[in-house]
Amino acid sequence: MTTPELLAAYNYDSFTPEKVLRWLNFDASPPLGQPAPDFPLWRLDGPETSLGEIWSQHLLTVVEFGSFT
Amino acid sequence: MNALADELAAANVGSIFLYTHEAHPGENYPHLTSMVQKAVHARALRDILGVTRPIFLDALDGAGHRAYGTMPNMTWIFNRAGIPIYKSDWSDHHSVANALTYFLDVSQRRRGRERLVPFRVERLDYRTSDTEAFYAGLARSGPKAVDEFKKAGL
Repeated sequence: MTTPELLAAYNYDSFTPEKVLRWLNFDASPPLGQPAPDFPLWRLDGPETSLGEIWSQHLLTVVEFGSFT
Repeated sequence: MNALADELAAANVGSIFLYTHEAHPGENYPHLTSMVQKAVHARALRDILGVTRPIFLDALDGAGHRAYGTMPNMTWIFNRAGIPIYKSDWSDHHSVANALTYFLDVSQRRRGRERLVPFRVERLDYRTSDTEAFYAGLARSGPKAVDEFKKAGL
């Protein structure tokens, strides 16, 4: 899948089973108890950071994934 | 989740909201095509829906979201070493509060020199299903989001 195809597929333009269900893959998500993948993030009104930088700042860190819709 | 974040901040529990993609794109909040647009939608999450936790944006291609299973509203808890110790395929503050209470107690026991080793547990948690609120959320996105969800039959 090319980058433009990935961008369009991930940011699907309509909620249909064909466009949505392909992404839901919780069973294959990182296992508990093992180091998890880090990735870059952007502050809403600030510079780039990373999930690793965030989780290293507290005893525990709660991360809720979601969107307006 | 906001209240829980406030309540446990003094216990050194950080809480963030990670903005992913539009699960139900509509006329008012269509699918994302740029990071600028993603930031606009994230500000609406803060200003209209009242999310008070720090909001961070994932890459436009959802690299982080996809690496963690791409569920629309999941919650993970990490320790300081980046080890996930809780993951739920849906976000529910009762479930998260219950888990945090347990993990903070574990931390307290460790400070008391109790020798602890991890083990795996599976559990089915329960969340409130508020159909009216869910459809109100779809309506905020626009009539298209409502229609598509009804047609999808999911």
